[in-house]
Amino acid sequence: MEEHIAVKLNKVIHQKSRLGIMSILVASEEAEFNYLKEKLNLTDGNLSSHLSLLEKEKYIKIKKRFVRKKPKTSCQLTEKGRQAFEEYLDNLEKVIRSVPKD
Amino acid sequence: MEENERQEALENLELIKELVLQTKKHMGSYGGGWISIIWGVFCLIGVAGQRLFIPQGALMGVWWTALIIIAIFASFLVNRIYIKAQPVRAKHEYMRYFLRFWLPLILLGYTLTLFIALTPSLSNHYIAIVMLLIVSTGYLIIGLLFYRGILYMGSIGYVCTTLSAIYFLEYSDIILGSLFGVGLIITGFVINKQWKNT
Repeated sequence: MEEHIAVKLNKVIHQKSRLGIMSILVASEEAEFNYLKEKLNLTDGNLSSHLSLLEKEKYIKIKKRFVRKKPKTSCQLTEKGRQAFEEYLDNLEKVIRSVPKD
Repeated sequence: MEENERQEALENLELIKELVLQTKKHMGSYGGGWISIIWGVFCLIGVAGQRLFIPQGALMGVWWTALIIIAIFASFLVNRIYIKAQPVRAKHEYMRYFLRFWLPLILLGYTLTLFIALTPSLSNHYIAIVMLLIVSTGYLIIGLLFYRGILYMGSIGYVCTTLSAIYFLEYSDIILGSLFGVGLIITGFVINKQWKNT
């Protein structure tokens, strides 16, 4: 008999690019804009919009500073972001386990 | 629950794993390669200085102390430079690991070194043996807990040090200093190359 469990995945994190951003930030303490852009194959505009959404949800903190007169943007995961990510992972596991193997 | 939902969940989990692993790898080599090279050069210069410039005795302690201080300072400096230059970072991860794990081992080695140097009945040749057995122990612990490759290095270090102590005690400092020095320098270049490929 198939086991059905209603699992609600966090839509903000579930999107592939944002999931990538969150994964990198969860593994590090801080990542720069250009690093995220390169690793996730995103354009400046795309990445900015994803970061803005994550910042709006208070999942990440965006820091801007100048290094040798050049602007540098870096991101950090907040405690709320870490919790949301852990919850998302738990739910992912539930989704995977909820469908029986053939 | 739909099968495609499960498939998507599996894909996402795979993506998370891959990115976390890549990021950890990137951070794990925070100057680690250059720090390994610094300690390799430390071994070679240390042994050469001990053999060529300094007679066995109290000056040997001063020579090794000065070298250890320089090597720790240089490692710290390299780590700081790397942290500032990297686009993804975990603050002071390497130094934290170094301070918690390697520093107590170095202090233990240093205490035993002093004990051997101040005990007339013990040959100073045992200093290199004790230091390298401690370094090998460190590699074995890291190897058992984290990286299989380092476990081999630790095992080889242990066997070579023991064999040197038994069969070539008089030349053990030259043999082991060169072996560990060159080994660490090669390891450093391998780490640097791997890091460039990530």
